[in-house]
Amino acid sequence: MPTDTGNATYLDAVGLALDSEMDRDPDVFIIGEDVGQFGGAFKVTKGFLDKFGPRRVVDTPIAETGFTGLAAGAALVGLRPVVEFQFADFISCAFDPIVNVLARHHWRTGDPMPVTMRAPFGGRLRAGPTHSQSVESYFAHVPGLKIVMPGTPQDAAGLLISSIRDDNPTLYLENKYLYRRLKADGPISLDPIPLGVAKVVRQGRDITLVTYSAGVHQGLEIAEELDKDGISVEVVDVRTLVPLDVETIVKSVRKTSRAVVLHEAAKRLGYGAEIAATIQEECFWHLDQPVVRIAAKNTPTPTSPPLEDAVIPQPAEIAETLRKVARA
Amino acid sequence: MATRTSSRNRRKAAPAVGDRDPDLLRRIHRFMVLTRAVEDRMVAMYKGGDLLGSLYTGHWHEAISVGAASALRPDDYLAPIHRDLGAHLWRGMEPWQVMASFMGKATSPTGGRDGTLHYGRLDLNIYNLPSHIPANFPVATGMAFAAKYRGEDRVCLAFCGDGSTSRADFHEALTLASVQKLPNVFFVENNQYAYSTPLRLTSASESFAAKAAAYGMPGVKVDGTDALAVHDATAEAVARARAGEGPSLIEGVTMRMHGHAEHDPADYVLKELYEEYAKKDPVELFENVLLEAGVLDDAAAKQVREDARQYAIAARRKALADPMPDPADIEDGVYAD
Ligand SMILES: Cc1ncc(C[n+]2csc(CCOP(=O)(O)OP(=O)(O)O)c2C)c(N)n1
Repeated sequence: MPTDTGNATYLDAVGLALDSEMDRDPDVFIIGEDVGQFGGAFKVTKGFLDKFGPRRVVDTPIAETGFTGLAAGAALVGLRPVVEFQFADFISCAFDPIVNVLARHHWRTGDPMPVTMRAPFGGRLRAGPTHSQSVESYFAHVPGLKIVMPGTPQDAAGLLISSIRDDNPTLYLENKYLYRRLKADGPISLDPIPLGVAKVVRQGRDITLVTYSAGVHQGLEIAEELDKDGISVEVVDVRTLVPLDVETIVKSVRKTSRAVVLHEAAKRLGYGAEIAATIQEECFWHLDQPVVRIAAKNTPTPTSPPLEDAVIPQPAEIAETLRKVARA
Repeated sequence: MATRTSSRNRRKAAPAVGDRDPDLLRRIHRFMVLTRAVEDRMVAMYKGGDLLGSLYTGHWHEAISVGAASALRPDDYLAPIHRDLGAHLWRGMEPWQVMASFMGKATSPTGGRDGTLHYGRLDLNIYNLPSHIPANFPVATGMAFAAKYRGEDRVCLAFCGDGSTSRADFHEALTLASVQKLPNVFFVENNQYAYSTPLRLTSASESFAAKAAAYGMPGVKVDGTDALAVHDATAEAVARARAGEGPSLIEGVTMRMHGHAEHDPADYVLKELYEEYAKKDPVELFENVLLEAGVLDDAAAKQVREDARQYAIAARRKALADPMPDPADIEDGVYAD
């Protein structure tokens, strides 16, 4: 079982939150491939089977459509399933139940649909085109889903707790590159963090960087670097894509008059397009420069390190773009 | 009649009609007649321009929809499809609500947000399916999972058509239900066509019931025009599920006597099939069984038909008079608060 050692990793934080919700609410169960006896492909649920038993830690066959639909049926009649997709890439096999069963059921009927779907996503692990995808944009278009993308261990815990307690289907995307690289600097609080509330993770004057998930750390590191050049970057971590905290973004951009959006997903119709359009609608007369997007190239994610690095935004590109927009 | 496809599934000889609960028999008859009357009325409504789009009916599915639903308890879960009006009515859905659904009225189960055959009511333990077939199958495993999780002895009965068995949902649901030993009953309504696609282009299996063996569950094929055969097979599968022995598959063979929906003249259907099944009207067959057994007499049967006709007429009148929905709140409820 995960224990909080005071410097929990992002992965530990997910496990701690899930464990505490399963302790708190007997209707919460975890279902997915290899989540039981094996403890999950990334070991988020290590020890869960021993603690909670096979009734609440359900190993499934490779049947993403099936177990997502199963979760929907169980949620309809009062349980609170947490579904683990082994990799976010495989969520495509459950696209149909997510979009057609889970997402629109409440609007059609008024019945509850409290399903949390956890999925490790993203690149930088040299895992190639079908093991590195960022899937948020496919789903952000679908009314009725919430999309949560924590960037820190503390947010990973607090937002997972809120996702599980939420009565809506929630896609909770875990950045697998951060799993073991990111550690909390203190004990993890198991208080829920509300969905739909962005966080200004760094105050700045000259330019706003709007980002989420792994972009938050990249952004913070680069902001420190630019500080030495006298460029003061404000970093906004949106934390949840749906609902989006427009107010916090707008407030920051009106203050700095310049905005750059950063994410690891491909640029074309990536979520950055939504953020940029929203900023344009809400802050046009406050802007000194066009809103710029930094995102992956519009290609699949390659495997080989030099190729992958050429596709996913790198620190130099981010720093250069921020400098350019800040000084233009 | 019933064909055995699994040696594990030993069935007792069916009790004689005279040895059965006459109230239950009369009730099954009444709901089969009502289902037919409501659908005939709705066909007239379709032709008269009362409805929004096309109309899906379950002519010749009445023995399956009512016969199977009659083997459940009210607290059991039901995950029906577009041929199962009889099961809805058995559960307490009102005919005017169904008509309202095909008219986009505010009084439909979804308040006009969804329509046509997409109706259901969780308060009656009926799942409201989306278009995608058979999406109700995985959902049905979840309702059964929840019952088992809570230690309740409820079961979930899900229907699908012959065409629907080809989709991943069918395979994954049966796989999950069998490895998890869920209290599911899966009912394939084999009406020999999937829209225009005949059976031979849907499946090369000897039967759908035969597929059960591959999932390690009993499979049985019954005459889907015989309400008692359907009821008995379902009751047995339900008993097994309730006892914690896991899921079963039932195939009921019938014929889709109307087009896929009323817009479809179905001229691709073999004439001989229509001729064969014209002699096997499930409502008539069941009525004759009850008349022969003395459970019903001619006058009572006539009264049931007339009551059903009047009920359907009144339902139409109410649905027509019901208001259309107000778009003012259309953005509400995308999310639960
Ligand atoms: C996934 C999916 N593909 C296509 C359709 C369109 N469609 C609706 S019903 C139907 C035929 C269904 O055949 P079957 O399962 O045999 O049931 P039947 O209508 O004959 O009762 C089709 C193709 C659909 N609803 N869902």
